Amino acid sequence: MNAFTVELKKWFPGQKRFGLTLFLCLTLSMALLGPQSPEAAITPDGQAGWFVNMGRFAASAHGTFSCEQCHGDMKQGQTMHPNTENLFFLKEDANRQYDYQRCKSCHNPSYTQYLEGAHAKALLKQQTDLPAGPLKLPKSKRAPTCGNCHSGHYVKGHLSRVEIGRQMVSVCGKCHPAQAATYLDNYHGKAAVNLGDKNAAFCTDCHGAHHCRSLKDKKETLAACKRCHPEAEQGFTQVVIHNTTQDLPENDRQKKAHVALIRVVTVLMAILVILVVGFFYGHSFVWILRELHEKLRKHK
Amino acid sequence: MTTEENQPPETFIRFSPLQRLLHLVVMIGFTGLAVTGFSLKFSAQWWAHGFAWLVGGAGHLAYLHRFFAVITYGCVLVHIIWLFYFKLALKGSITGPQSLFPRVQDIKDMFQHMGYFFGRGGIPRFNRFTYWEKFDYLALFLGMNTMGFTGLFLWFPEFFTTLLPGYFINLAQVLHLYEAIMAVALKFVVHMVTTHLRPETFPVEKTIFNGKTTREKMRHEHPGELDSL
Repeated sequence: MNAFTVELKKWFPGQKRFGLTLFLCLTLSMALLGPQSPEAAITPDGQAGWFVNMGRFAASAHGTFSCEQCHGDMKQGQTMHPNTENLFFLKEDANRQYDYQRCKSCHNPSYTQYLEGAHAKALLKQQTDLPAGPLKLPKSKRAPTCGNCHSGHYVKGHLSRVEIGRQMVSVCGKCHPAQAATYLDNYHGKAAVNLGDKNAAFCTDCHGAHHCRSLKDKKETLAACKRCHPEAEQGFTQVVIHNTTQDLPENDRQKKAHVALIRVVTVLMAILVILVVGFFYGHSFVWILRELHEKLRKHK
Repeated sequence: MTTEENQPPETFIRFSPLQRLLHLVVMIGFTGLAVTGFSLKFSAQWWAHGFAWLVGGAGHLAYLHRFFAVITYGCVLVHIIWLFYFKLALKGSITGPQSLFPRVQDIKDMFQHMGYFFGRGGIPRFNRFTYWEKFDYLALFLGMNTMGFTGLFLWFPEFFTTLLPGYFINLAQVLHLYEAIMAVALKFVVHMVTTHLRPETFPVEKTIFNGKTTREKMRHEHPGELDSL
């Protein structure tokens, strides 16, 4: 019995110790199973609640704004929010119905870039091609608006480049998981996200913030590469960064072939390593057994 | 106490000062390459964060990796120059039975030695370099060249993509990684175990550091060479 157990038994003899254990177990299970935070509250009909965590909002980049600055007067005719008869009066899907002109009034360049970019084009396509609009699509397939990537209430200001970059990889990765995973497997992602190297490239350093270019066009790609690799030429754009065939257009045979070739070489190398290392590990192991046997026999 | 025991054992010089120095520098360079390289490759691991913090970030890891690469490959170059000197000025043999050049006899020795592991036959009469010593040497000598070559692709991707398609950089990366895993798995485990931790040599084999070996060890480990002297 060690000193700690002795001390414990002295302080909490018999029944007291049982009480202590019960107390700890109950506290722990209450902490784990207890009520969730009101932010996560979803009303029975599936709508998100009105709740905004004022502590987190006040600490955010928009923390000094009054509600009206972004939400207007929340009035329709004579009825206005909050409404005790109809709790969900004026409650809409924030990401789809919010008037993003209000974002534009402060963030004009970002708004313009978004409209020029791939996400806005995809949104327009979904709105014109699908009779019910993007809302019938699963969440990860809906073309994003401002609110899908940025949190209006809780967005943090004054973050470092690496902090923003790490958030970015997880935000982009929600809809582009294969791209996030392959980026993290690439040297850029390892240096930037894993080791916090602020000189290494995050998503938007190549794809452009708010433009979100797909970089299928080789000229656009070369311009992106040249930002950090000024000596790069056209061949440089064929270096595979996202080593995956997920979400590739059907006609991109070239990249599919490159990814397949890299895969084949990887498998062949893995087999070679296993064979060579396996042989020499076995060789050394049996050798040691033999020499141990000789030694022990001599000392008999 | 007999007079025989009082006599100092006859000492042979197995490795020249240059060979000992090159081994020492390669040892440091190789370890440095492994630590910095794997810290970059497995950068999500806690120990990689530790090493990166120790040297001051990913940029410094990459810089140190290239520094160790240059000094390690420097040893290869010095060694190649020495081989020319050995062949041309000292009129030595770099392909003979006492050299590190692979020979058919090595395959035979390997099978006989493995037979000995399982109790069939005795230890082969090894020459100056046994088959596993030749493998250790040649794997590193050739490996340093291929690692250096693929490493240059990763160091200067802008230049190499003007000559070759871009995915060659990815192929170089795959070859560089798997060869590194193989080299570390062999050098840090097999090389250490067969030279230091075998019951015959345990706890430490000092010959590569002080160059000296005894007649007794020579008779036991390299009888073929002893006969040729």
